[in-house]
Amino acid sequence: MVEAFAVASGKGGTGKTTTTLALGMALAERYDVTVVDADTGMANLLFHTGLADAPVTLQDLLAPDGSAVDVADATYDRHGLRVVPCGTSLAAFERSDPARLREVVAELAADTDVLLLDSPATLASKSAVLPVVLADRVVVVTQPTIPALSDALKVQEYATSYGTGVAGVLFNRVRGDLGGVEEQAERYFEGPMLGSVPDSDAARAARDVGEPLLAHAPDSDAARAFREVAAGVDPEPKAAGDVADRFRSAVVPERP
Amino acid sequence: MTGEPSTHPPSVVDRLPRGELVRARVATAFAAPLAAALDDRLTGYLRIEPGEALLGGSGAEAVVTLEEGVPVLVYDAAADADGPAALAALAGSAPARVESYRLPAETLADLHDPDADAAAPFRVAPDAPARELAADDDLADRTRAAAPDDRGDEGDHDALAAFLADEERVEQVRADARAEAEARAAEWGLSDQLDGE
Repeated sequence: MVEAFAVASGKGGTGKTTTTLALGMALAERYDVTVVDADTGMANLLFHTGLADAPVTLQDLLAPDGSAVDVADATYDRHGLRVVPCGTSLAAFERSDPARLREVVAELAADTDVLLLDSPATLASKSAVLPVVLADRVVVVTQPTIPALSDALKVQEYATSYGTGVAGVLFNRVRGDLGGVEEQAERYFEGPMLGSVPDSDAARAARDVGEPLLAHAPDSDAARAFREVAAGVDPEPKAAGDVADRFRSAVVPERP
Repeated sequence: MTGEPSTHPPSVVDRLPRGELVRARVATAFAAPLAAALDDRLTGYLRIEPGEALLGGSGAEAVVTLEEGVPVLVYDAAADADGPAALAALAGSAPARVESYRLPAETLADLHDPDADAAAPFRVAPDAPARELAADDDLADRTRAAAPDDRGDEGDHDALAAFLADEERVEQVRADARAEAEARAAEWGLSDQLDGE
């Protein structure tokens, strides 16, 4: 049983990877969760999870001879999650065959409840938009600024154009009082406002030591806010085979 | 909410002497002119002519006044919007022609006086232009750090609130994104994946 979520923002710098891991850890209290770094062009999940030296990553699975590598070899148990990091080698990125991503994800989907895809912070290429196309629902991460919110709306419109639902929207890296902005914004989103997470030095410190925020500073205001956000995400696990089939039948992306 | 025409004192633009032109160029994004002003500790103003005004010659313009490189007041003449509402009107309007002018500090002293009621509606948070126009968090942090201690944090989200209050504009953003998604799907051969409704 699995539901696949794309955690997406459209804009960089919104704290998407921090969010993906925080939601993953909070949801892992109730579900089996697998987190995949689907941002193959600007991978950084590995730095947030102490896997910078991981011997096998998604890049190896996406290599032309990747079918010889077992998906399990690129899957690491960390902090109660299954984590599939992506390497950062440019040469490996250029060699990689994104077409294999759907196979990898289909295989992972067969053995988890919740699949979180940390998605690229752009919608400018076919590879970048693929996680949003494939997911059942998208979790939209934004900052409380006009450019970030415009990009968040854009992600929503891309998602719904592809029949992907909206699990909700969260404001991250919030400074000061949002006032009525959440209520104002909620009118324009198809999903609920999941909450606001304050800007936090703890999130930066967590990344610096290679730990997810909820492991590094579980009592911080930001961690607490993320747990509240996660409580609003209500996974609707589907038959794993359906999701796997959906990934397998998805159109093959061209090389980025 | 700001932007009520009836509250306008004589326009900030009208009250600005021309000043010494420091630089003028068409900027593809607002980060470069804002960063240059901060690096130069420029006291004066940026005169912004948005992209559509460049093409149409409509004379639309906006100004961002600066003290030691830190934005203080914003006015958008095309929308007749001030302060945060002017930022909301300007957001996303690059490329734009941006002219930077230097003025003696005393020329701006009255306008920038925090107790000047006439200028109050035009005031923005020091880092708001970097966040809302340039989408540059690092520049926003640097600008906030350079701002005097008496520049408060109030009104941080006013520009976003003004943007969200403009229902027509937000719906236009959504409609444009839907059209772009469909056009890109065709370009990428993903049309079969589009929702059939």
